Amino acid sequence: MCNHNKERSCFEYVDSQLPRVPLELVVNGEKVYELIDPTMTLLDFLRHNLKLFGAKEGCGEGECGACTVIMNNRTVNSCLVLAVEAQGAEILTVEGLSKDGELSILQQEFIKYDALQCGFCTPGMLMSARALLDRNPNPTIEEVKEAISGNFCRCTGYESIINAVLSAAKREREELR
Amino acid sequence: MLSKFEYYKPDSLEKALSYLEENPGTRILAGGTDLMILLRRNVEICDHLLDIKGIPETRIKSYSPEEGLFIGASITVNEICEDDEIRKMFPALSEAADNLASYQIRNRATLVGNICNASPGADLAAPLLVYDAKVHVVSLKGKRVVDIKEFFTGVKQTVLEENEIVVGVTLPAVEAGDTSVYLRKSRIKGHDLCNVGLALRLTSEKKLLMAIAAVAKTPLRLTELEKSVEGKEITPELAEWISEEIKNYMSPRPNSVRSSAEYRYHIAGVLVKRGLKKLIEKEAN
Amino acid sequence: MMDKKEFRHVGKPLDRVDAVEKVTGKPIYVHDMELPGMLYAKVLHSPYARARIKSIDTSAAEALPGVKAVLTGKDTDHKIGLYLVDKRIIASDITRYQGEVVAAVAAVDEETAERAISLIEVEYEELPAVLTIDDALEGKILVHEDINELDGGGVFFPQKDSNIASWNKTIVGDVEKAFEEADLVVESEMYLPAAAHTPLETHVAIAQVDPHTGKIKIWTSAQSPFAVRQLMAKSFGMSESDIQVIVPSIGGGFGGKAGVHLEPLVTLLSKACNGRPVKLQATRREEFNQLPSRAAMRSRIKTGVMKDGKIIAFKAYYDWDSGAYADYGANVGRTAIYSGAGPYEIPNVEIHSRTLYTNKVFSTAYRGFGHLETHWAIERQMDIIAQKLGMDPYELRMKNVLAPGKRTVSGEIVTESTGSPADCLEAVAKEINWTGYQSGEERKAQLKTGKVRGKGIALLQKAPSMPTNTATSVIMQMDGDGKVKVMIGAIDMGQGANTVVAQIAAETLDIPMEDVEVVWETDSDKHPYDWQTVASKFTLMGGNAVIRAANDMINQMKEVAAQVFRCNVDKLRHKDGHIYHVHHPHKRLPYSKLARGYIYEDGTAIGGVIIGRGSYIAEGLTFLDPETGQGLPALSWTFGAHGVELEVDVETGDIHILKFASAFDVGKVINRKLIDGQIKGGVVQGIGSAISEGMKFDEKGRLRNPSFTDYKIPTAMDIPDEMVAIFIENPELNGPYGARGVAEHPMISVPSAIANALYDALGINFYQLPLSPENVALAIAEHMKDEKIN
Repeated sequence: MCNHNKERSCFEYVDSQLPRVPLELVVNGEKVYELIDPTMTLLDFLRHNLKLFGAKEGCGEGECGACTVIMNNRTVNSCLVLAVEAQGAEILTVEGLSKDGELSILQQEFIKYDALQCGFCTPGMLMSARALLDRNPNPTIEEVKEAISGNFCRCTGYESIINAVLSAAKREREELR
Repeated sequence: MLSKFEYYKPDSLEKALSYLEENPGTRILAGGTDLMILLRRNVEICDHLLDIKGIPETRIKSYSPEEGLFIGASITVNEICEDDEIRKMFPALSEAADNLASYQIRNRATLVGNICNASPGADLAAPLLVYDAKVHVVSLKGKRVVDIKEFFTGVKQTVLEENEIVVGVTLPAVEAGDTSVYLRKSRIKGHDLCNVGLALRLTSEKKLLMAIAAVAKTPLRLTELEKSVEGKEITPELAEWISEEIKNYMSPRPNSVRSSAEYRYHIAGVLVKRGLKKLIEKEAN
Repeated sequence: MMDKKEFRHVGKPLDRVDAVEKVTGKPIYVHDMELPGMLYAKVLHSPYARARIKSIDTSAAEALPGVKAVLTGKDTDHKIGLYLVDKRIIASDITRYQGEVVAAVAAVDEETAERAISLIEVEYEELPAVLTIDDALEGKILVHEDINELDGGGVFFPQKDSNIASWNKTIVGDVEKAFEEADLVVESEMYLPAAAHTPLETHVAIAQVDPHTGKIKIWTSAQSPFAVRQLMAKSFGMSESDIQVIVPSIGGGFGGKAGVHLEPLVTLLSKACNGRPVKLQATRREEFNQLPSRAAMRSRIKTGVMKDGKIIAFKAYYDWDSGAYADYGANVGRTAIYSGAGPYEIPNVEIHSRTLYTNKVFSTAYRGFGHLETHWAIERQMDIIAQKLGMDPYELRMKNVLAPGKRTVSGEIVTESTGSPADCLEAVAKEINWTGYQSGEERKAQLKTGKVRGKGIALLQKAPSMPTNTATSVIMQMDGDGKVKVMIGAIDMGQGANTVVAQIAAETLDIPMEDVEVVWETDSDKHPYDWQTVASKFTLMGGNAVIRAANDMINQMKEVAAQVFRCNVDKLRHKDGHIYHVHHPHKRLPYSKLARGYIYEDGTAIGGVIIGRGSYIAEGLTFLDPETGQGLPALSWTFGAHGVELEVDVETGDIHILKFASAFDVGKVINRKLIDGQIKGGVVQGIGSAISEGMKFDEKGRLRNPSFTDYKIPTAMDIPDEMVAIFIENPELNGPYGARGVAEHPMISVPSAIANALYDALGINFYQLPLSPENVALAIAEHMKDEKIN
């Protein structure tokens, strides 16, 4: 660590920038290897290191769900997961939902039902919906509500989101399985 | 967060215990859903973080008629929710697990973490109390088994010493005919802490066991109350009596931001009546 | 334009224009922005409601490697304020609320900034604080000791030697005489606590000051880039044109981002860092504690009514617990005087609205701008009057409701074009099968089952609260292929402004939606002026400006085409992206041939680049008379109504909403999908205020629930079983295609409707929010004891 506090103009290393731990994982199907600070959260790693800005920090306390990503097939609040805990994990973020410029059925239904307004909760919401349909291809309204109740939306009132997920479930059952 | 910690994830219990011994003040990380918030708010500052999820003993979830149900310290709440066997044998535990925070949190939070955090309203405490759970504590000095009834000593306080790790919790096996219910009241229908959490169990010998959380400094097993109704048939009148009596065992904080003491008294009585009704219905089936 | 004809785009439920980006996580919010050389800021807050700063030691923070600047109150004397300029950018000497900024740091990363903040030592002298409305009115302690120096500009009226930031009033007729003549006088007091906006993206701003010219460049999550620019210019004594404000996507606003918040502070930090960009992002805690809220408010209403239900007198005191600084609060208070009697005609009115200073987090604009708060009282009072008269509350409302020819309390005569609250009330009453209150026997019978059902109705109104000279403008440019780029000064924060603009532009020009792009990322250097994206007025004002700009383009193209066809301009029409001769339709030119001038076969070029310009200013608005409150403050009224059917668990106090029906007279639905989203989102936000939300302060004025753990907003599990949105279309003559705004309205009167339904279900009147399970259960238990119901 260099300590040039007398000359403020130079770029300085400080404790937090000193990478210390190797991290190897797969994000959206791509292998990633970086050296990171162990105090870094998975959310910050995705955003600052991998420049995947879809997941957001809405509260930093695991309440709002804006940071939701899928880790080893399970949704987690990435603001409460240390990046190092994702060693060897497979992560799916909103950026991994569409392939080759094609929107997934879930994303198409979100557009059709206008399941978004400001868009800030949308990435996390999509991941919770994705994980729900992966484990339960035919959810009831109650099951959809429960699956997304850990994702706050202040704009839509949730109804359009629920309708989008139900519609996507139906289409996926018909078109994909 | 202000903490600058070294992160260590050992693959054996011995390595973990040695690390704890060498580094006093180490915090233990399982699901992180409580600890990470404390670290980020700088309520806790630590230099060493021990991730127990690599320790094989903590990843066990198994049942045998002799040993009962063992839930390792790394087992998440959702893994409990998804276990149909647990739901059949220990319904109150599954029902409490279903309602803990949000789906995302349940994918990370652990049962052991929940009781070690020892919040007065710990969601999984009441079921563990009615099932006489045993907490398996390990240190370099050896092992000890702590009855869950002795485990909580105060607000966010347990009997755990420095350098001790909980490897898991055992719920003794239940006989056929044993059943239980869990009820809670929170402020909204979505994910929330509970104002009152109640577990009621009817053993195969028709003993009524009761535990309640969020109404005192620690979660409570109501052994005194159980004694006073022992052998009695659970009628609506008895349920009414219990719903009033239970208030004598509660000491809710008067100025809690979450709920007034008055409401907690009120709702505890309501939940007891409803819980007993449900329990009787379950027993009849 | 007012016919019920089929339009090409207007009226269609089109996908919003930015949907693809949003479902792929593409939009950049200031939350996501990283600029080269950017520094990160953190702030230190006062832990006391009111305190004197005795000393601040920043030496350890300054010495920390990576710290580039540390600022305290001694580094700046700048003051800011939308109406009353009463707030320092950094507190000095005295701090006025728990959460107020006392120091700020800029460092190379967030961790360093956080560490630096933890190293700053402040010595405070805790002072007694003003914490309640009565404390404030008593005025023994002054939140602003210099209140006598505050200038209200003739619109706001700070009272000398008091904590009254503004006392506004409306006086019509003679209420006291009318009370004497009334058959019945009903007096009620209602209260609701402060509430938080909770946008998912917290406040965040980046500032970059040019160290040589002093020019400022700001990126901010804000609703009003031009207002930010204007207020900063005023505060810093600069020219507006030296300040550039850019707003990319924003993660929700709800009024909380309407004014200026973090921008001045980051500007000072950037200046102190020799012009490096500095980013300040509020944590969620800070969003609750430091950034402003919606004011708590106490209403005291006295209504004089005749036996037949005709209301002849209305007297109200609205006292706003508006926190430590006036910000928007003063205007929220002022608005209550012309809207604060509800959508009714009342001949004798006296409304006093007092914006009060207290030592708590200050209040700002919040969706509804005071109307949810006043209508909590007004619509509860209507039901209470109905109960006392033994009258159906639906009939009582219909008896007094505004209709063409009737007069509002500010003296405006309602016309057909104003809209019809009666139509809205009728629609919701029908939707929930309203047949009047249950009888006492019916209630008693239900109470015994443990679950009771009830229905409730409520009316609402709102007009934009804005300056008489509010203006907006639009610029349109055409590419060589005939496709159009539209530039507006408003912000699409999810309400769909950009989509509506595209629809109206495409409609007027008669081209496909794909050929219109509304240029994102509003930039005050490039985009034309819009006052602020608030007040539910953009569809009306901006929509009109878009039509004018499009017509301007068409006229320019016609001018050129007239030369080409050698005819008079009045022979030309436009259709399907072409200009054509009305008698010789084969004489037609696509827009693309005119976009950059027209070139003849021999090479001669005529015409020029087509740029459309449209501007719209509020017309005919006047100031309100300071004594009587009379004038024309409202550009356009939107009326609405709610009807709710719910079930209450008598023992737990849980409210289960079975059906929530809402009707609004919007004049014309421009986009059914978007407007439906506004309704459903607003209703759910209103349910939050009604049932679970409320800021709680301790006896020392500290906020007890500055996090989602204890400030509970609705989740997907907390919405009604069924929500119905009904749109009445009595056209607004001033509106584009007859449309009126409705963005804020869905929230208003939601708590009142629910409480009215609780009365129907339980026979209990509620006077305070929230209607939480705790409050409802304990009230029921009390009521059962009183009534000896078992």
